[in-house]
Amino acid sequence: MAQRAVWLISHEPGAPLGGTVRFSRRYPTVEKRAKVFNGASYMPIPEDGPFMKALLFELRLLDDDKDFIESRDSCSHINKTSVYGLLIGGGELWPVVAFLKNNMIYACVPLVEQTLSPHPPLISISGISQGFELLFGIQDFLYLGQKNDTEINTKLNQLPDLLLQACPFGTLLDANLQNSLDSINFASVTHPQKQPAWKVGTYKGKPQVSISITEKVKSMQYDKQDIADTWQVVGAVTCKCDLEGIMPNVTISLSLPTNGSPLQDILVHPCVTSLDSAILTSSSIDAMDDSAFSGPYKFPFTPPLESFNLCYYTSQVPVPPILGFYQMKEEEIKVKITVNLKLHESVKNNFEFCEAHIPFYNRGPITHVESKVSFGQLEVSREKSLLIWIIGQKFPKSMEISLSGTVTFGAKSHEKQPFDEICIGATAYLKLHFKILDYTLTGCYADQHSVQVFASGKPKISTYRKLISSDYYIWNSKAPAPVVTYGSLLL
Amino acid sequence: MGPRSRETWAQRLGAFRASPSAFMAGPEGEDLGCDLLSELRSEKLSEQTKVSLLALSLEYPAQLWPDTAAAEAAATSLLDTLVLLPPRPSALRRPLLLAATTALATGDALGPTSAASLRLLPLLLGLACGSDLGRGFGPASEQRSLQATACECLRELESCKPGLLGGRLGLLRGLLGQEGPVQPLSLLLALALRNALVIQARARAGLQGLLMAGDAPTVGIPWNWALAEEGAAHLQPQAPSWPATEVQECGLAVLEPSPEEARELRAAVAQLLDTSYLLTPVAQAQLLWLLGWALRGLRGQPPVLFKPQLVRLLGTGQLTLLHAILALKAAFGEALFTAQDEALLLRRLTLAAQHPALPLSAHLFYLHCLLSFPENWPLGPTGEEAAPLLLGPRLCRGLLPSLLHDPMALLARLHLLCLLCVDDEEKEEKAQDWSPQHYLEELLAGLRQRAALDGGPRALATLCFQASYLVVRCLAMQPAVLTPLTRGLAQLYQSRPALAPHFVDLLDRVGPELGEPLRVVLRQEVVARPGKDEALCWHLQILAKVADGNAQSATLGFLRAAAARCTDWDLQQALLQVCRALLRAGVGKGLADLLQALARQLEDPDGRDRARLYYILLAHLAGPKLGVALGPSLAAPAASSLVAENQGFAAALMVQEAPAPIQLSVGPRRAEGPVPVLQLQVEVLEPVYSLELRFRVEGQLYAPLGAIHVPCLYPGRPCRPLLLPLQPRRPAPTHLDVRALYTTPSGLTRHAHLPPLLVTFADLFLPFPQSPEGDKQGFFEELWDSCLPKGAESSLWCPLGPRGLEALVSHHLEPFVVVAEPPTSYHVAIHLPPNSRLLLRLEAAQVDGVPVALRTDDWAVLPLAGDYLRGLSATV
Repeated sequence: MAQRAVWLISHEPGAPLGGTVRFSRRYPTVEKRAKVFNGASYMPIPEDGPFMKALLFELRLLDDDKDFIESRDSCSHINKTSVYGLLIGGGELWPVVAFLKNNMIYACVPLVEQTLSPHPPLISISGISQGFELLFGIQDFLYLGQKNDTEINTKLNQLPDLLLQACPFGTLLDANLQNSLDSINFASVTHPQKQPAWKVGTYKGKPQVSISITEKVKSMQYDKQDIADTWQVVGAVTCKCDLEGIMPNVTISLSLPTNGSPLQDILVHPCVTSLDSAILTSSSIDAMDDSAFSGPYKFPFTPPLESFNLCYYTSQVPVPPILGFYQMKEEEIKVKITVNLKLHESVKNNFEFCEAHIPFYNRGPITHVESKVSFGQLEVSREKSLLIWIIGQKFPKSMEISLSGTVTFGAKSHEKQPFDEICIGATAYLKLHFKILDYTLTGCYADQHSVQVFASGKPKISTYRKLISSDYYIWNSKAPAPVVTYGSLLL
Repeated sequence: MGPRSRETWAQRLGAFRASPSAFMAGPEGEDLGCDLLSELRSEKLSEQTKVSLLALSLEYPAQLWPDTAAAEAAATSLLDTLVLLPPRPSALRRPLLLAATTALATGDALGPTSAASLRLLPLLLGLACGSDLGRGFGPASEQRSLQATACECLRELESCKPGLLGGRLGLLRGLLGQEGPVQPLSLLLALALRNALVIQARARAGLQGLLMAGDAPTVGIPWNWALAEEGAAHLQPQAPSWPATEVQECGLAVLEPSPEEARELRAAVAQLLDTSYLLTPVAQAQLLWLLGWALRGLRGQPPVLFKPQLVRLLGTGQLTLLHAILALKAAFGEALFTAQDEALLLRRLTLAAQHPALPLSAHLFYLHCLLSFPENWPLGPTGEEAAPLLLGPRLCRGLLPSLLHDPMALLARLHLLCLLCVDDEEKEEKAQDWSPQHYLEELLAGLRQRAALDGGPRALATLCFQASYLVVRCLAMQPAVLTPLTRGLAQLYQSRPALAPHFVDLLDRVGPELGEPLRVVLRQEVVARPGKDEALCWHLQILAKVADGNAQSATLGFLRAAAARCTDWDLQQALLQVCRALLRAGVGKGLADLLQALARQLEDPDGRDRARLYYILLAHLAGPKLGVALGPSLAAPAASSLVAENQGFAAALMVQEAPAPIQLSVGPRRAEGPVPVLQLQVEVLEPVYSLELRFRVEGQLYAPLGAIHVPCLYPGRPCRPLLLPLQPRRPAPTHLDVRALYTTPSGLTRHAHLPPLLVTFADLFLPFPQSPEGDKQGFFEELWDSCLPKGAESSLWCPLGPRGLEALVSHHLEPFVVVAEPPTSYHVAIHLPPNSRLLLRLEAAQVDGVPVALRTDDWAVLPLAGDYLRGLSATV
């Protein structure tokens, strides 16, 4: 249950090597055990250079896609998890846990406490989940909050010290690296008895609890007889509890209005101390009926110091907030488009913003647009590959708006246009981007009065809600479209 | 070397990290380990630089201190540095402890004879106990962090040397109950407990009160290495291997703790579990793996102790926690999870495998867990991925693949879908509303559509073929799936022939269920619709794979037409590759013409040569042998097809030596004709084809002998004697060296060295041409007289057996008798090729012998004749 080595590699498309090793750490005591456990199948951890080369090749991140290469492109070379075998110097390094996110490759090699040939099933290797958790932890540390390069470089420079805290010998002690950073800074504080390992130090100051519910709504709309439209709400409840004492207890209840949509697929933060079985079993797998548990959803927990996601949920609201259709027909170098959008009457008609993006892939630049919009305004993006229909803060009283027009394209230039593998021919979509503050589609809210805090002082409790769109697609109904299903809302 | 500045060190470390092996091989490599240790005490370097030096030693101890002695010395030096630190706060204490631990553990130095170990262990234990070790160990503010570090170091040492802390379990329990830091102590205790249980079980010993809490003084008493020495031989996995191995294997079944020990053990485990919520999620998971492993199979330790933790953990989406629950599931099965619990666990896994709040990598891992789920009562064979029984189609519907998924997610979900299709096929009543096959078909069609895009990335094509392969592997027995798949793939080829390498790869890997029909449609596709020139090289690549004896004329027609367009080397070679495939398939008619034409018309000499070679092979080798000659080499897989082809030739066309399956002997003499002829009798042990026997005589005694050819020989089937005419240059006996060249039933050509054949003096005897009718005596006398004076004369006594002279003559000399007066007198004239004569007068035989007068015109024959006659008498 340990890692033999961990790497961060930045992916640099076009660079001679395809990337740079930004960080690496080896664990020789674990390596020593690997040698014993793996026996004849032992393969030592390679140096950074060969490792990066092999990993980039396996992840298809080198720009040598042109030829068929059996060791990578063979139909039997099937990877169904983010765990790879790398061919290095005639041997195979396995298992390599790796994934790419924000142009950074996160990779580690967990210890396998048995022979590697044949490969034991991943489920039997405890280091696999630990490796993922370590990499997720590093990723969160690098990218949560900020994204500019200088800050990332600063954080990368902190990594060696942090891993010395969080993973001194290859066995991960805490995936929350921010916690480790704090523990370095908190070193002078004398810890009282029974301090949780996930909470460095204690809060001193005015007690306050902040609860924020963010719902994201996804949708796939087809406007077709044979394919059902689908939509799904995904909620996240984020808390920040500034409370004195070592182990303050808090219970937050999420409630629904009478016509609210039940919360399902609830995943809670590990600090939640107990869970009602109705919460545990409420799942989108089951068909919806009136008997579904509709709250209140109680979450008793002992909060960590930092802001954290108390729980995630999904929900099946009866209708999508905006229903629409999109019709697009190709006519040589032109396309004719018609769009119709309707806001459901139950939805709060007060947007922070609302836009419909209509991209045109695998075509030349937009040279001319003739259009008629019933509401809002239409713009062409700077890259000339996207129409943006700015709808604004409110739908008109009719709740229904439309757009029709003709778009003309120039000649296709192969180098500049990225290839899209979905939107081929008339297969096309429009994507809605909107945000509504102080509103949730499920109706879910955290009642200030229902928040119970067992700690000294009466805390100030603040609650926030918002609905944002995410992957809200309306597909061209005049062409084939990829079908996606959420939960049991199927076919 | 003098002290270095911070910059020099930064540079040096940078160079080392870029390639440790290159650096260590360079001039600076040797001193790095020593320099590093000495500079840690330098007052000129900042703490930060020293920490980076220590960080290096944490990662590369084996390079810095390659042997045990060096590691021991390094650990001693690190400990000295630690002791010498001034009492103010320092960032060095923690990394120094980690570095000393790493050096000892990786350098094989840890043990009762190592002075550094005997210093480090009590120091770590003292720190872990929170004992006051004096001012040298820093201010009180650092104690808490050092206490945790010491626990980590001890845990690492225990991991590398199981049993090391077996004697301190009671102490650790006591510490955990007091104010010690919960997480490091819990993990240390759990590991030490698990190791102690396993070692004691192996030694068939009890717990021996190891768990009894005690505040044994830690400093000053000698370290107890007994348990570690027993454990050292067996480094223990910290997690049970999977699927749940037999209980005996984990070695705990034999451990039968006394009721009191069992109670203590239960109390210790309960104590660890009760405070587990204070641990970070990853540490909780480790604790569960360790305790699950510790208690598995242990009598009197019901796993219900874990139950209170489970509900809390099931609610999270944390990978490590759910994984740890699955480990408990595998370890305890029904004892901990009822059928309802199993269903709930599956629900949570299904949910986690698609939950939008979790990252893709987690989804994929959960999907893997679903297909490898440790069921209470598994039905299928273990070790194979399968959908658990309780995971019905309804649960899976959220896990269906779609074109919008990432390739890995698509493949993982596709696998699940295939398993559903298998189940669906097995069910008698099919669901009316939804058919997994139909869904599968549409998905595959979508994948093919994307793969067909000209200029699309190779990854899309690869994905399409991987999906097809996966489907074939799972659903090979379902024609309803394979038929549209075959058709779809043919269409895909038609629209994008550049995918030929993928098709070849697919054909190489799938079984005949898809392979056979796909070959047929691809061949038809290529031959019937040649299309544009750009596709020619792909068509040829496909044909080389799929061409066989069927539809010969169409294929040859295509090739003839293509030959004119094969203008460059690549195309010509591809074309010849197809010819080769046809050659192997035994296509003869028409192919010979094509090859001849190619041998003339191809521009490239290499291509012409190859065409000619194939033509020659076709013209000269029989079908089966051709197949073998061109077939893949049976030797180790070759790096390239060229090498493989070469190896194939080498094996098939090169003549290999073999032990002879042939026995050759000289049969009865036949004294007739103008030259002596040996009659050879052949026997074979196995069928032999195209046998060629080659004979050679040492020196110049005989003229070179012709070879004998036999088309075929079968064991047990009589064969006419083989006639070998001899052409002696002098009448002398000799040995014939015999070699056989033949073809085995498998078509390989072999050669064998046979035992030499003896040609005796008598084998060379020929009668004189018949004398003119009548005066035989005169003829003989004439010969007799002509021998002298050039020749030689002799006489000897030839003993006779009971049957007398008549029998001797009729047996040995019959053909050569010129004048006979039985039973007492015979005149014998023997012609010895090339042109010698031997004349014998056997007259006035007596009962026991006959005097023989002999004459020859070749004196060299005389001793041979003497030997011969004496030999005759010996055989009588």
